[in-house]
Amino acid sequence: MIALSSRRFEVFGYGILLFLIFFIVLPVLTVFLWAFAEQWFYPAVLPTKWGFRFWSLVLARPDVWAAFVTSMELSLTVTALSAVICLPAAYAFSRLDFPGKSAFMMSFLMANAFPRFALIVSIAVLFLSFDLIGTFTGVVVIQLLNTLLLMIWLPTAAFRAVSREMEEAARDVGASAWQVFRYVTLPQAFPTIAAALLMTFVWTFYETEGAWLVGAPRIRTMPLLMMQMINNQLVVQYGAVLSVMLWVPSLVAILMARRIIGGDAFARGLGG
Amino acid sequence: MSATAMSLRSGWRGLAFIAIPVTAIAIFLFYPAALSIIGTLVRPAPGGGYTFSLQSYIFFFTDSYSLANLARTLWTTVVTLVLLIAVNLPIALYMRFTKGRLAAVIQALALFPMFVPGIIICYALIRYMGPNGWLQSLLSLVGFHHYASPHLTPWGPVVGLIWDGMPLTLLILISGLSNVSDASIEAARDVGAGRLRILVSIITPEITHSLLIVSALNFLGIFGQVLMPFMLGPTNPEMMGPFMLRTFSSVRDPLQASTQATITFLICSLAGVAYVRSIARRQREDRT
Repeated sequence: MIALSSRRFEVFGYGILLFLIFFIVLPVLTVFLWAFAEQWFYPAVLPTKWGFRFWSLVLARPDVWAAFVTSMELSLTVTALSAVICLPAAYAFSRLDFPGKSAFMMSFLMANAFPRFALIVSIAVLFLSFDLIGTFTGVVVIQLLNTLLLMIWLPTAAFRAVSREMEEAARDVGASAWQVFRYVTLPQAFPTIAAALLMTFVWTFYETEGAWLVGAPRIRTMPLLMMQMINNQLVVQYGAVLSVMLWVPSLVAILMARRIIGGDAFARGLGG
Repeated sequence: MSATAMSLRSGWRGLAFIAIPVTAIAIFLFYPAALSIIGTLVRPAPGGGYTFSLQSYIFFFTDSYSLANLARTLWTTVVTLVLLIAVNLPIALYMRFTKGRLAAVIQALALFPMFVPGIIICYALIRYMGPNGWLQSLLSLVGFHHYASPHLTPWGPVVGLIWDGMPLTLLILISGLSNVSDASIEAARDVGAGRLRILVSIITPEITHSLLIVSALNFLGIFGQVLMPFMLGPTNPEMMGPFMLRTFSSVRDPLQASTQATITFLICSLAGVAYVRSIARRQREDRT
């Protein structure tokens, strides 16, 4: 630590903290207040009547359950397909030598260099002629493309982190290649791979733009239902209750995943 | 088995393993994208066959509504980008040079938006900064009654996009700042350099790469945004994202939608090329 931590520097820190409280904490808090408010008129600083009335109203709506089931089916299908497609590739990138390896790795990174939504629009134009617009399959394909990058690059890092010495030691005592993978490599890489699966699942669950463009109006996912409820604004609390109900479990899941992965891996993976 | 045969086998297996995602990307990403771009230029001729035509581009660039949307998109992108860096660079600098409880709390708060899905951010911001929202209640409590809500103005998406882009920007800037060594700063101070001098001469050259990556990634991310401008912004003019969506889904004009997408590609390709060149150079430097 160098001598920059003067008194002025500390004031600067509290300034940042104040900004973050107003910019980040209070908006999120607003959602929680609305979720437990039965009545809240402007300019009251807090809800005038608290309660759970809107929770039972939301849970009684059939469209909420239908959207929830659709979203779960989509996210599970996409995550499973993504794992099947990407995990062997991740293993190849980390452990096998093949011609054009760095060029292929680079081309996966290049997927970041395209405006995502413009790509989705041009894919959707082609889907029109295949009658894939408004179908489950169409949405699966669009959302699957979204997950490939994360699903290759996090597991690649996971396989790379497994110690080569341990693998070689296992080979020396006579284990086959498959046994080495099954009993040495996989158990060590598993936590990160599980974290990648979890993040893919949550991200797919909340993917909005692809599902909207390709799925509407027949496929209605949870985010699309929420968008509709927010825009109609007849009952403010519906949006709040849904947000809190869905987001809290996914927050716990992602926090667990992030504990394993760590922030620096994200920045590095994007070339930071 | 000889060493060459072994590496040959591993080479084939490696190629086979990555063949599936590569094929998926080729079939579902590049092929349709290329096809619809070509489709905007080569149209079926009335008497059969195909002709080359710039008609859909001429329409876009003579239509005042399309041009206004493009201008609004560029404005939002540039303003958001400048503000993102102006907000995050001081925070990143603070976190590079301080340790302790306060820095940890700041880091946790600043990275928090990463865990909030876009749709929930939109809802939160509408309820917080919208007309008669919580911010306005809080401000009028302390006697400030002239609050003008940015919701549904051009500034609405800017606020939302800064929220959304903050964690990634901050992570990349912090990662870049970790290259700045304490020793070089100490040396500069010993010869009498002031804070500004250190920032300009020592820190800025070290983080040019990170600033470039941050600018390119955010440019690509903001330019094609759909959700934030749709939920928080005005409808006329609108940003390219919602414009493409509406042209495709409501107006049902796939030709014009893919023309808009192609124009978006072309403008974003500047940022895309900068991004790819920058990471390619970084990888070369890492190897040497």
